[in-house]
Amino acid sequence: MSNLLLRAEHIDKHFGVTHAVKDVSLDFEKGEIHALIGENGSGKSTFTNMLCGIYQMGEGKFTLDGKEVRPKNQVDANHEGISIIVQEMGTLSGLTVAENIFLGNEDQFVSKGIKNTAKMNKQAQEYLNEYGFERMIATSVIDHYNFEDRKLIEIVKATYFKPKVVVVDETTTALSQSGRDELFKHMRRLKELGSCIIFISHDLEEILNLSDRISILRDGDFIKTVKADSVNEEELKKLMVGRELGDNYYRTDYDSYIPAEVALSVKNVSVPGQLSDISFELHKGEILGIGGLSECGMHEVGKAVFGASYDRAGEVVLADQTKINDITTAINHSIAYASKDRDNESLVINDTIKDNITLPSMRDMGMFLSDKKLNHFAEQYAELMSVKMVNVDQFVSNLSGGNKQKVVLARWIGKQSDIVVLDSPTRGIDVKVKADIYALMDRMRKEGKAILMISEEIMELIGMSDRIFIMKDGKINGEFKRTPELAEETLIEKMI
Amino acid sequence: MTGAETLEKSKNHNLGEKLKELKQGSSIQSILPIFELIFILILFNYLTDGRILLATNIKLLLSQTYMLLIASMGVFFIMSMGCLDFSQGSMLGVSCIVTCYLSNYNIILGIVGGMLTGAAIGAMNAFFHIKRKIPSFIVTICAMYLFRGLCAYLTTASPVYANSSITEFNTMPFMCGATFVVLMIGFVIFRFTSVGANLKAIGAGEKAARFAGIRVERTKFLVYMIAGAITGFAAFINAIKVGSVTSTGGNQLETQILIALVLGGMPISGGAKVKFMNIVIGVLTYKILASGLVMLGLTTQMQQLIEGVVFLVVVALFSDRKSILVIK
Repeated sequence: MSNLLLRAEHIDKHFGVTHAVKDVSLDFEKGEIHALIGENGSGKSTFTNMLCGIYQMGEGKFTLDGKEVRPKNQVDANHEGISIIVQEMGTLSGLTVAENIFLGNEDQFVSKGIKNTAKMNKQAQEYLNEYGFERMIATSVIDHYNFEDRKLIEIVKATYFKPKVVVVDETTTALSQSGRDELFKHMRRLKELGSCIIFISHDLEEILNLSDRISILRDGDFIKTVKADSVNEEELKKLMVGRELGDNYYRTDYDSYIPAEVALSVKNVSVPGQLSDISFELHKGEILGIGGLSECGMHEVGKAVFGASYDRAGEVVLADQTKINDITTAINHSIAYASKDRDNESLVINDTIKDNITLPSMRDMGMFLSDKKLNHFAEQYAELMSVKMVNVDQFVSNLSGGNKQKVVLARWIGKQSDIVVLDSPTRGIDVKVKADIYALMDRMRKEGKAILMISEEIMELIGMSDRIFIMKDGKINGEFKRTPELAEETLIEKMI
Repeated sequence: MTGAETLEKSKNHNLGEKLKELKQGSSIQSILPIFELIFILILFNYLTDGRILLATNIKLLLSQTYMLLIASMGVFFIMSMGCLDFSQGSMLGVSCIVTCYLSNYNIILGIVGGMLTGAAIGAMNAFFHIKRKIPSFIVTICAMYLFRGLCAYLTTASPVYANSSITEFNTMPFMCGATFVVLMIGFVIFRFTSVGANLKAIGAGEKAARFAGIRVERTKFLVYMIAGAITGFAAFINAIKVGSVTSTGGNQLETQILIALVLGGMPISGGAKVKFMNIVIGVLTYKILASGLVMLGLTTQMQQLIEGVVFLVVVALFSDRKSILVIK
C-alpha cells in the first residue's frame, strides 16, 4: 500500500466509565475523502479529536507518513500536518480575521521578537482571495461576520498550510447550501493535492456523493470500511444501526384534519431585528412547522412563545387567556421548549441527568423531595426515552448529541407539557434517534398535544408537519397545508 | 501565544482533564475533605502531644466554631449559585452593633434587629449585583469596606455593650443547640427541597437554569437576603460570647469562611458538585488547623502565612479550571 498516509492502530479511549472508542484500527490513504459514519456516541468525534490533539490520547497510536504522531494540542497537530474544522464555532471573538487564521502560528511573522502585523494581514488577505472569499477583510474583527462566514474563515484557517490530514467534523450541519458547496469545493481541491480528508457527517447523501471510502463505527467498535460506489443509503443505515430500518421514518398519513381547538395564539409579536408583527394560532393535536433560512427569525419565534425573548412586543396568549411573558409562567402553563442551542439553553450541561430531567417538575412533587423520589422520576423518563447512560447521576456534559436531546425530551415528557416547542429537534442527530423523535412527535400529536416544530431541514418539515409556515426577513412569507404533492422547490421559493 | 506557552497551557489542560476524569470516575473529591480533616487532626495531635484533643481544648474549640458554622452556611448558599460574598465580616460587625444596642431594650428585639440588618445589607448587595449587573465579588468587596467604615464610626466613642443578661445564654447546650437547629434547617432545605437543586443549577449554568423555569434573579435576591439574615443570627451568637462589639467585630470573617468552605471541598464556582457536608467538614478542618497553629506557639503572622499557603494549595488542587472563569 504505497498510498498509505495515516494508520491508526488499536485506538482505545475511556471517559471515566464510558468506553468511547474500542480498539479501532484504520488506514487512510493519500488523496481520498474518507468518511466516518455512525450513530451519536459511536466514537467518531472522540477518535478524530484524539488525532487532532483536542482530547488526550488513550491507548494505541497514529502513524502519519511512517512517523508516530501524538499531538498535545491543536497547534501541535497543525505542525504535524493535521487540522480540523468543527461543528460549533471554532473561531475566537474579539480577534481579527487574520489573527484567527494564524492563531498559534504567528511565529512565522515574528522577527527579532517583534510581530510584523502588516505582513500577517497581507498574507491572510492573499489566502482569503485565493479561496475566493475576497469580500472578507483580513484586518476586520471577526465578530463582523455571521456564523456562516466565520465557518468559511475556519476553512481557510484549517487548510491554508496544505495539511496532510483534514478532519471535517459535522461542519455541514452549520452551513447553508452555498456554504456547503464552498466547503465541498475545497475538500475536493485538497484531495487533488494528495491530502486525506476525514469527513464526519450525518447526511448520508452528502457522504455518498463526496467520499471515496466509508468507515462505519458503532458503539465505539469499528464495523467495516466500504467503497462509496459499492453501497447505497439503506445499506449504510443498516450497518450503522445494526438492524433493518424502515424505508420511511416520516409520517405517512395525509388525511388527518387539524382540530379546531386553539392551544395558543401569537398576536402581533415583534422582536427588534428578529421578528416583525408575527401572528398565528397553534391548534391542539397538530404539528405546525416553521421553516426558512437560518437568519429569517424563525428561531426567535420559539423563544417568543416560551417567554424567553428579550424585548418582545405583542402577545402570546393561551386558550384560557393566560399571557405568557416569562419562562417560568410558560413552563407552569404547560409549555415545553427544546432550544437549538442544546448545550446552553436546553440543558444545564455541568449537571447530572437526574437534575436536568427533574428541575422543572420539582414544584409538582411536593414540598419535600427524597433522593428516591427524584431518582425514580428521572430513571422512569430517561428509560422511556432510552437514554444511553450508566446511571442518572452521570453528568450531561459527557453524553453524545443524540443522548443529550433525549434528556431534553425526557424532561418535558416528565413535565407532561401540552404545548411543545421544538427548535431544530434533530440537529446533529443520527438516523435512529431521529426516527425515535419523529415517532414520539407523532404520538404526542395523536394525544392532542400542540407541537410547534422549527426546522432548517425542508424534508423534515414536509414529512412531519400538518401546516408549514415559511419565514423570510422576520415575517411569515407563505403557508402550506400537508399534502403528498408538496415539493421542496415550492418551499424554497418562499424562503429566498 | 508562543509555542512554549501553548505547551504549558495544554499541559495544565491535560492535568485538569485527568483530575476531572478522576473526580468523575470515583467521587474522590467528595471523600477527600474527610481525609484532610482526619490528617490534620492526627498531625496536630502528634505535634501538640495530644493537647489538642484534651476535653478543655475541644470545648474551647467548639465555642469558637458556632459563629463560623452559622455564617458559613449563608455564604455556602450564595456560593452554590457561583456567586461570592466578601461582606460577611463587616455585615456581622454592623448586625452585632444593632443586636447589642437593641438587646438593652429586649433580647428578642435584638435578635430580630440583627437579622433584619443582615438581610438589608444582603438586599443591597443583591440589588447592585442583579439589577446593576456588577459581578458579585466587586459589589461585596465595596460593601465590605463601606460597612467596616460604618462599624468604626458607630464605635468611635466606645464599644457598644449588650445587655449584661445576654451572657446568660453562653452555655454549651444553648450554643450547641442553636447552631445545630440552624444547620439542620439549612440542611433539610438544601437537601430535601427543590431549593438545593435550583441553586446548584444556577451555579452550573445560569442561562440553562432560566430555561428550566427557575426565576434566577428572584432566587439570587432571596438567597442574598437570607444569607444576610443568617449572618445577623451569627452576630447574636457573637454578642453572647463577647458581650460587646468594637470596630473590629467580625474582622476577616469573610476570609475565614472562604478558606473553611474551600477546605471542606466546596468548588469556588459552585454548581452540581456542591455538598452540604462541605460546611461542617470545612469549618472543623479550618478551626483545628487554626487552633493547632496557636498551640504550637506560632506568631499571628506565621499563622496567617501558613493558612494562606494551605488555602492556595487546596484551591489549586481542587478547582475546576473550566468553570472558574464564570464566577459571577
